[in-house]
Amino acid sequence: MNAPLVRLGRAASFALLLFLPAPIVVIGATSFAAAGYLKFPPGELSLRWYAEAATDPRWIEAFITSLGIAAVVAVLVTVIAFAGAYACHRLKPRWLAAFELAVMSPLFFPHAALGVALVNVLAMAGYLGTATGIVVAHVVCTLPFAWRPIVVALQRIDSEIVEAASLLGADERRIALGIALPLARSGLVTALLFSFIISFDEVTVTMFLTGPQVTTLPVQIYAFIQENASPVLAAISTATVVVTLVVVMLLERLIGLEFFVAHDPA
Amino acid sequence: MRRPVRPPSSRQASPPAPDMRGATSAPRSLGWLLLPVLLVLALFLGSVALLFFHAFWGKDGFSLVYFRQILERADYHEVFLRTVSIAAIVAVASAVLAYPIAWLLWRLPRWRNLLLVIVLVPWLVSLVVRTYGWLVILGPKGFLNETLKWAGVIQSPVPLIFNDLGVVIGLTHVLMPFAVIATLSVLLQIDNRLEEASESLGAGGFETWRRVVLPLSLPGVFTGLSITFLTSMGAIVTPILLGGIRQKMAGTQIYQEVVYNFNMSKASTWAICLLLLSGLGLALLRAAEAALVPKADR
Repeated sequence: MNAPLVRLGRAASFALLLFLPAPIVVIGATSFAAAGYLKFPPGELSLRWYAEAATDPRWIEAFITSLGIAAVVAVLVTVIAFAGAYACHRLKPRWLAAFELAVMSPLFFPHAALGVALVNVLAMAGYLGTATGIVVAHVVCTLPFAWRPIVVALQRIDSEIVEAASLLGADERRIALGIALPLARSGLVTALLFSFIISFDEVTVTMFLTGPQVTTLPVQIYAFIQENASPVLAAISTATVVVTLVVVMLLERLIGLEFFVAHDPA
Repeated sequence: MRRPVRPPSSRQASPPAPDMRGATSAPRSLGWLLLPVLLVLALFLGSVALLFFHAFWGKDGFSLVYFRQILERADYHEVFLRTVSIAAIVAVASAVLAYPIAWLLWRLPRWRNLLLVIVLVPWLVSLVVRTYGWLVILGPKGFLNETLKWAGVIQSPVPLIFNDLGVVIGLTHVLMPFAVIATLSVLLQIDNRLEEASESLGAGGFETWRRVVLPLSLPGVFTGLSITFLTSMGAIVTPILLGGIRQKMAGTQIYQEVVYNFNMSKASTWAICLLLLSGLGLALLRAAEAALVPKADR
């Protein structure tokens, strides 16, 4: 193929790629604009929106709530997924395919339908509008995302190591915690960070479950956009982008990002 | 490699186990480890069961009143029609726009990690934040309108949001990373030698792409189409913020019934209809894929 055409195709693809972070960059730029809105050419710079956000207890509270919920969800769902995936990996039950389909099934639910379903069950249990309810809902939503990297990591473990350990007298507990757990750590870290970030940024299902007592940062951002689109929102939004960026960079450093584009071996 | 982490229990576990059975015969007691997952699954399936219960069982016992309402009211037909059309347009737009990005990442292996970050970060940033970004860009006093006015291209703001166009732009942007990732993961599976063979047989770059790469990458495109269609069907935040209150979609109607009207029966009925329509859409996509992609590639 002629070179100019290839170069043109690449340039066009690159332009499309830059379209993806565009709104985030715009928000970041707005958050530093003293005027509170973005204009061209840019005006005076200022940190006043950050100062305003940092002194508003509502934002601080929502930020801490979101971080806390995400941390609890990440640990819970990683432990649950590791326990289950490890048992499946060792026992290789005949109904494994059906079971994994069930684990993945929340992915096939449009979020609005998932939200209603979870409202139904949490309202019945009396957990609507509580942090516990949101944690439970996020565990349901993130389980498929935690499950896959752990299954992949377990499949990569050389079964001879497990056999050798068993012959040398390691009991099941030792095999699980002393061998499988450390050898599957790439999957565990991926599951931990991935579910953390999904929980931290989740809004569509969560907005069904928040109440006067507890709200998360994304849901509060949503509520504020509808009330008054104050430029404080740009500062808050930039803060959530920073949290997300930090987690993605952490994932890149610790494990690499290949997981996201690796073909599902299952 | 670092030494394996010693579990706290290793002290009790150190005496050799008396039996020497192979590791392949894992004891059934491991089954207890499935309990937490089963609990989560039970919760999820229970919530789905409740969805059906609420949809068919109102205050006065068994009732199909909300299903009938959906069948009879023309304004509701319009909402579902808009939901499906927007989801279909968004799915196709994201697949088409995502393909060149995936192709770029595939073609530039040295830059792939950096470029992947540019795809992944927008994907993982909360969709409410990204939607807010589009509000700032496309709003009547937004960046785009103000810039165009400043440049003298337009006199009065062009209505880019609070209509279906805004919803399509917002949703397409929100969902494109899904399609990029789905397409890229299939492109990465393609054997390099196939391309080399095609080129050594005299096909040009474009011809090779059209006849070798494109057919092989179609499964990824279809995965992307399915995910983006499904997610747009259930979207709430982007349609409310960029479409306005009057441009209803099924998700926004469901949210309104739950949060403002506390009508769980109606919301559950709508959720079931949404599920059915999404399932139908996915089945159609499957059929299209089966027709287009040769069996060996699937």
